[in-house]
Amino acid sequence: MRDLEANALILKRALLERMLSTLKWWAGVLVPFGILGLAGWVLPLPFVIEVLIFSMYTMACNFLLGRLGFISFGQPAYLAAGAYGTAFYLYYFGTNPYLGIAAGILTGFVVSTLAGAVFVRLRSDYFALVNLALTVIFFYTLQKVLAPITHGDNGLWFLDRMQNTPVLDLTAPRQLLVFAWLAALVIWAFYKYLDGTVFGACCLATKTNEDKVKFLGYNDFAIRWTGFVIANTTAAFAGSLYGIYFGFVSPEMASAARAADPVVVTILGGTGTLYGPLVGALAYVGMKDLISRLVGNWEFFVGLLLVTIMLAGEKGIWGTLQPIFQRWAWRWTPEARE
Amino acid sequence: MEGNIWISGVIYGLSMGSIFFLLAIGLSLCFGLMRIISLDQLLYYSLGAYVAYTVETVTHQPWISILCGALAAGIASLVVERWVFYRIYARELTFTMITSFGILIGGVGAIKYVWGLVPRPASIPVEAQVAILGTPVPVYRLIVVAIAAAVYLAIHVALNRTIVGKAIRAAVEDVDQVEGLGVDVYRLFTLTFVGAGMLSGLAGALHAPLVMVDPQMGLEVVPFVFMVVIIGGLGSIKGTLVSAFLVGQVVSLGSLVYAPLAQMAPFVAMLVVLLVKPTGLYGSVLLRR
Repeated sequence: MRDLEANALILKRALLERMLSTLKWWAGVLVPFGILGLAGWVLPLPFVIEVLIFSMYTMACNFLLGRLGFISFGQPAYLAAGAYGTAFYLYYFGTNPYLGIAAGILTGFVVSTLAGAVFVRLRSDYFALVNLALTVIFFYTLQKVLAPITHGDNGLWFLDRMQNTPVLDLTAPRQLLVFAWLAALVIWAFYKYLDGTVFGACCLATKTNEDKVKFLGYNDFAIRWTGFVIANTTAAFAGSLYGIYFGFVSPEMASAARAADPVVVTILGGTGTLYGPLVGALAYVGMKDLISRLVGNWEFFVGLLLVTIMLAGEKGIWGTLQPIFQRWAWRWTPEARE
Repeated sequence: MEGNIWISGVIYGLSMGSIFFLLAIGLSLCFGLMRIISLDQLLYYSLGAYVAYTVETVTHQPWISILCGALAAGIASLVVERWVFYRIYARELTFTMITSFGILIGGVGAIKYVWGLVPRPASIPVEAQVAILGTPVPVYRLIVVAIAAAVYLAIHVALNRTIVGKAIRAAVEDVDQVEGLGVDVYRLFTLTFVGAGMLSGLAGALHAPLVMVDPQMGLEVVPFVFMVVIIGGLGSIKGTLVSAFLVGQVVSLGSLVYAPLAQMAPFVAMLVVLLVKPTGLYGSVLLRR
């Protein structure tokens, strides 16, 4: 009898702990996004939308850099793939922005699957440069070779062609914000979920020691390929959102001059940390906005900041703040004090 | 008439290849010796061009101004080496790549601040033209090619005949051993870095009259320089020479065949080279991972 009671107690406690950890998991997801969502009502709307979309773009890069150990200077290629997939659909075929986004994601998926099959065999530095090459090829293809379809530098304008949709109307900025918020939340939760799975562990393992992964019987190539496709499909998603947001795409999106942006922001935020992309995107977009309004050349300060962060130990903004927050959290939880 | 176009195309490609070589050799040397990827070489390139342009407008001495450009680039690279790279030589490759990218971006911002955003035309030191097989060719382009050839020879002699050059070559193979022999490798690093910076500045100063001087000029050549280094194989001087002229010709002759090809063809070439031989044409086995 007593045993049964004890068992029930243990079961209850286990259940409670389980619930608590689930709660913690979701709190970790919802708190930063809640803050960002509220910010949408306080800060200027374009700023928050830009931060959300850019943070998705950065999450992809963060996964590549922090989990797979790939440094890629070719993210604009995948961004442009998504944006142009959306643009082609909305300009030539249909009017539904949701289907446009689906078309963008599909394009990104196809492009990254094809590119990944050949690229992931290369390692870090060469990988970065091959991707850069792909970006340049994309840029000139969109600007010159496919000019009859893409209208070259003039770009494709489809803002008026997007039809209103019943639930979340993507043509209205406020509702686009909600959609971007939801999208970023889902993507972020997805990456957080990946971290806890076997696949996530395998990704980290290939980064640290690919030979050992092979010896353990995992398919090293397949892991990297899958990771690459996941990350760059996310980048394409961000690209198609950019397309919807501006109602316009131009080859400028695949410009090699912007190739390092996502990498810079990833490191700015803190490589491999979960909150890094959010913090980095916020800091980067904010800084660009603020500095370009005050001084006019933001490059100097971004460069200075980047060098400072690297010299200070490459942990990035979140990487530096995290231990401090953790110490606070320790101080505030009662069990930790005992 | 048809032949004339091709001859001037080849000369154009040669001069372009020379500029690429001068730029890429710095990156390649830095990688070979210090295992860093020094994107900031492209900042010294822009700086060299701007200083040469400024000195030229004041003194009207084209060759002296080109020299000044190279010197200014050398000084800037010395400062950067002392303040930034000296502390991070031991870090991994991607780390230096990103730090140097920060320097490049910051430097471009500083150049925009000092010289403004407007592209400016630099005057050509030698206006004369010479006929090769009946085709008029600007003498200045030939001089650029000659300078690049002289630089290659000088580097070759310095690395093979002088004691410092031999120490550098040994350090490329194994830094720890050389340090164990009592050589101050950090002095070698500084020397190589400043030398690379000066060559980049020289490239910028020489290139300025052929294109416009503009703040983005460093960023515009980034893909090409990288391509040269990658096709040639990181750390190989001979490979850099071969691939620089290869890329120069592909750009120049490609544009004669089909204009949009000019910017794209070299990247296709690079993609093919990398997929067939991932270490580049003359890349060393050391780099295989």
